[in-house]
Amino acid sequence: MTDRQQRIQALYEISLSIGPKESLEATADAALSGYLTKLNCSVGAIFQRFPHNGDIDYRITATIPASPRTNETLTAAIDELPATDTTHREFVDRLPIAGETAGGSHYYLLELPEFGVLALGKRGGEIDRLTRSALTPLNEKLAEACRSQLIESQLRTERNRFEAVFDAIPEPVANTVIEDGVERVTRVNAPFEETFGYSEQAARGRPIGELVAAPADHPRADGDGGSGIGPTEIRRETADGVGEFLFRRVAVDADAGEFIHHYVDITAQKQRQQEFERYQRLVENLPIGVYRTTPGPEGEFRLVNQGLVDIFEGSSKADFEELSVTDIYVDPEERKQFSDQLLEQGSVEGVELQLQTVDGNPIWCEVSGIAVEEDGETVFELALQDITERKERQQQLAVLNRVLRHNLRNGLNVIRGNAALLADGVDRELRSHVTAIEDRIESLEQLSQKAGTVRSLFDQGREVNSRCDLAALLSEVAADFEERHPEATLSVGEVGPVHVRADVRLKLAVLELLDNAVVHNDKSVPTVSIGVSDSESKPGDGWVDVSITDNGPGIPEDERRAIETGEETPLQHGTGLGLWLVYWTVSLLGGEISIADAPSGTRIVLTLPRALETTRVQPPNADS
Amino acid sequence: MEVTYCSDPGGELETALRSTASTASVEGVLLLATPDPTVRSAAFESVLAAVEVPVFGGIFPELIHEGERKDQGALVVGLPSEPAVTTVSSLDDGASFGDALDASLPAAGYETAFVFVDAHASAIESFVDSLFRTYSVGLNFLGGGAGTLEADNEPCLFTDEGVVGDAAVVAALPESMGIGVRHGWQEVAGPFRVTEAEGSTLHALDGEPALSVYSGVVADAADTAVSRENFFEVAKSYPFGQTRMDGEQIVRDPFSVDAGGSIDCFGELPEGEFLTVLEGDPDSLVEAAHTAAADAQAGVDSPAGIVCFDCISRVLYLESAFDRELAALTADKLPTVGALTIGEIANDGTGHLDYYNKTAVVGAIESP
Repeated sequence: MTDRQQRIQALYEISLSIGPKESLEATADAALSGYLTKLNCSVGAIFQRFPHNGDIDYRITATIPASPRTNETLTAAIDELPATDTTHREFVDRLPIAGETAGGSHYYLLELPEFGVLALGKRGGEIDRLTRSALTPLNEKLAEACRSQLIESQLRTERNRFEAVFDAIPEPVANTVIEDGVERVTRVNAPFEETFGYSEQAARGRPIGELVAAPADHPRADGDGGSGIGPTEIRRETADGVGEFLFRRVAVDADAGEFIHHYVDITAQKQRQQEFERYQRLVENLPIGVYRTTPGPEGEFRLVNQGLVDIFEGSSKADFEELSVTDIYVDPEERKQFSDQLLEQGSVEGVELQLQTVDGNPIWCEVSGIAVEEDGETVFELALQDITERKERQQQLAVLNRVLRHNLRNGLNVIRGNAALLADGVDRELRSHVTAIEDRIESLEQLSQKAGTVRSLFDQGREVNSRCDLAALLSEVAADFEERHPEATLSVGEVGPVHVRADVRLKLAVLELLDNAVVHNDKSVPTVSIGVSDSESKPGDGWVDVSITDNGPGIPEDERRAIETGEETPLQHGTGLGLWLVYWTVSLLGGEISIADAPSGTRIVLTLPRALETTRVQPPNADS
Repeated sequence: MEVTYCSDPGGELETALRSTASTASVEGVLLLATPDPTVRSAAFESVLAAVEVPVFGGIFPELIHEGERKDQGALVVGLPSEPAVTTVSSLDDGASFGDALDASLPAAGYETAFVFVDAHASAIESFVDSLFRTYSVGLNFLGGGAGTLEADNEPCLFTDEGVVGDAAVVAALPESMGIGVRHGWQEVAGPFRVTEAEGSTLHALDGEPALSVYSGVVADAADTAVSRENFFEVAKSYPFGQTRMDGEQIVRDPFSVDAGGSIDCFGELPEGEFLTVLEGDPDSLVEAAHTAAADAQAGVDSPAGIVCFDCISRVLYLESAFDRELAALTADKLPTVGALTIGEIANDGTGHLDYYNKTAVVGAIESP
C-alpha cells in the first residue's frame, strides 16, 4: 500500500470516529482517540475556546493522557495557547502550528473552526505536512460535531432547567403539542395529577380538553386563556369535583404548536370572595349603622354601610365623605369624650349618644365598638342603632309611671280617709262594703308599690356580674317567710354549695312566688316547698333548677298562658303584676321560668345559669 | 535480574520463590509459569502470600528461557526494585477502567510497567485503551495475554490479590526499559472495507461474505482452497492487518469460521475501517523478531536482561523455524526470559498503545 493510500485510509478511518455522541466530552474523546490511533500519536487534546473577561480561555474538552501537564509534548503544545485576546488573534493567524520539544517530540496545533483547537503529539516521528493538510476537512467536521453537541448540550441543559421548573411549579401544569389539529398532552406535573386525577402516563397523548373539561352544567364560555393577553377565570372538573382556576395558555414554540397550560386553583379564593360578598350584603342590609372612623375630636369616616346612611337620612354614602364624625354629634364635646373613652378602654358597648342627621335632626343612638390597629394607625369599628323611638317611649313611660303612681297614691289616700269616715257613720250592715273598699285600696297600693319595684328591676339592667349562694339565699327567704306568713308552712330541701349568676333581684322573685303561693292558697294551712337540683330542661353542668311547689288551687289559665307566651292581649290577661315581676326578674338574670301542675297544687321552676367561680359573691340581702 | 527456572514447580517453585525473595538485591518477583497443577492449586495462594516481596505474573502456554521453549515449569525473575502492583478485576465488563488505574505513577518515578491480561476476557481492548488514556507514553508497557489455548477459564494471573482470572495485573517499575515491537507480516491483498462486523466477528468485507473475500485472496496467494475444515491451518499463515500511519500494521488473527461465512478473530474489527490480508514467511518473521530485540536493546544504555513475549501462533506458523526466532530474541550474555502469549501488549514509547496478535514484543531492562 502506498503512503498516499495509507493516508487516505487513515483519514477515512479517523472520520468514522467523528460524530455526535451522548455529550460534548464523549464526542471529543472518541474523535481524539481516532486521531491518535490512526496517526499513531502518543498524546493529544481538544480545547474549547471561551471568551473570558475580554480575553480568550482555552479549556480542555478531551485529553490523552488524563493528566496532560505530566507529558512533556502535550505541555509544550499547551504552552503555545494564547493568554490574552491580542495574542489569541496572533495565535489563530499562526495555526496550524508545528513544534518540536527539546526531547525531540513533535506537537501540532490545528484549528477547529468556531470551536477551539486540536493538539496532537508524537514521539519518535512526525506527522508529515501532506497529512496535516489533509486533516483540515476532518478538523472542520470535528468542530462542527463539537459545536452541534455544544448546542445540543445547551439545549439539553435548557430542557433540564425547563423540566426542573416544570416539576417545581406548585400549580397544575400541562405541556401540550398540537398534532393534526388536536392539542394533545405530552407532559403533566405532579400537582396536575393531584388536581385533575391524571398521571403523566395516563395523560400523555390525550387531548387536553378531555382531561381538563368544563362541568356538564357549565357552558364553555369562559375562554381558553390562549389570547396571551392575560389569565382567564375558568371552571373545570377536578378529581374531587369542580374547581375554579385562573388559567393561562402560554406558547413555548408557537410554530411547533407547543404550549404550556397553567392552572392556578382559586376555588378557595372564590369561595372566600363569595363569602365576603355575602357578608358585605348582610352588613349593607342591616337596619343598624356599621362604620369605621379614625379617632380624635373630629374623626374621619372610613367606611359606612347603607344602614348608617339611612339612619342619618343621607342620600348616599358619599355624604359621609364630606362629613367629619363630630358633625353628627349634637355636642362636639361628647364626640371627644366618646373617642377618648374608646381609645382608653379599647371597646365600648351600648353607649347612648345624642346625635343628629345630616339635616340636623336630633336622634338618639346606641353605639358599640372597638378600637383596632390597622396599618400602623388606630381605627374605630362601630355599630350604631337608632334608639330614638325607644328613648321617647322610655320618657313617656317614666312620665306616665310617675304621674299615675303619684296621682294613684294621692287618690287612694283621699279614698282611704273618706272610707274611714264612712265606716264610723254606717251601720253594721253597710260596714262590709266599707271594708271591701278598704281592701281594694290596699290592693291598689300594693299594685302601685309593685309597679315601682318592676321599674327598679329594669333600672338595674341585664348586666349581672355577681353570683348568688343559693343555700344562703333560701335560708334568708325561709326566715322572711316565717315572719311574713306564720300561718303557712315552708320546707326547704337540702341545698348543696350551688352558686348561680344572680343578684338581689332573685330573692325578690322567690319571695314573690312564695307570697303568691300563700296569698292565693285556699287551704287552711298553706304549704310551700323549695328544692334545688341540676336543670332538667338544660345541661345540668351549666344550669340549676329552683322549684317552688305549693298546695294551692293552681294559677288561673289566663295568667299562666300570658306568662308562657310572654304577652298579654285584651282577651288574655292576668290580674296583677306578681307573676310578671317574677318573669321579668328571671329573664333579666338570663334564666327561664316554667309552670307545671303538681299533684296537689302548682310547681314553678326557675332555671338559672350557674355562676363562674371567678364571679364575685353578692350577699342575697344586699338590697335589704 | 535474578532468574531461576524450575522445571518441576511442585518440588522446587516454593523454594525458588523464597530464595529469590530473600536475595538482598531483589525487591519484587516476576513469575511466569506453565499451566502446572501446582500453580493452579488452592495451596499456591498461601505460597504466594508467604513471599516477602510483591509477586506478579501469569500462566502461559509455554515459557522462553535462555533461547529455549519450555512447555512446563516456571520462571522466577527477581527484580531490583519493588513493583507497584495494580489488579484490575472484571475484565469481562466493557466499561472504562481508568478509575482503577493510578495516574500518578509516572510522576512518582515509575517508567515501565509489565501488563498481563486474562487472554479470554472480553474487554481486553477496552482495558488497553484505558491504559493508554491514563498514561499515554508516560509508562512503557510490555506484556500479553495469559491463559491456555484450551480456554479453560481457570485463573491465570498472579497478583497482589492472589491467583485470579478475568482480570489484568499491572506492575510498574522505576527502571526504564527499551522496547521493540515487530511482527514481520507483509500485506498481500487489500484494503477491504469492513462492511459488517460485530466485536471480533467479521461478517462482510466490501459488502461480500467475509469468508468469500478471504478465500479469494488466499487462493490467489497460495493456490489453496479455504474451507471450514482447513480454516485454522490456512489462517495461521494469512492474518488480517489494520493500517496505521508510521508503523507496522496491527495484526488481527483469524481462528475460526462459522457456517454463514463469518470469521472470528482475536481483537475487535470496527465496521467502516479497512483490513488488509497479510502473509509471512519464516525469514521475515524471524527478521522482525531480531529487529524487535535490537530495538529493545538500543532503547537503554546498559541492559540488565531481556524479557520477551512472543505470540504462540507464531510458533504454530514457524514450527521448526521458531528456533531461529528464539535465537533472534535471545541476547548474548544477558539473561533472557519470556513467554509464549495469546496476544501481546506493548508500546515503544513513541506512538499508540495497542493490543497485538502474532507479534513479538521485547523489553530490555536497564541496569539499576
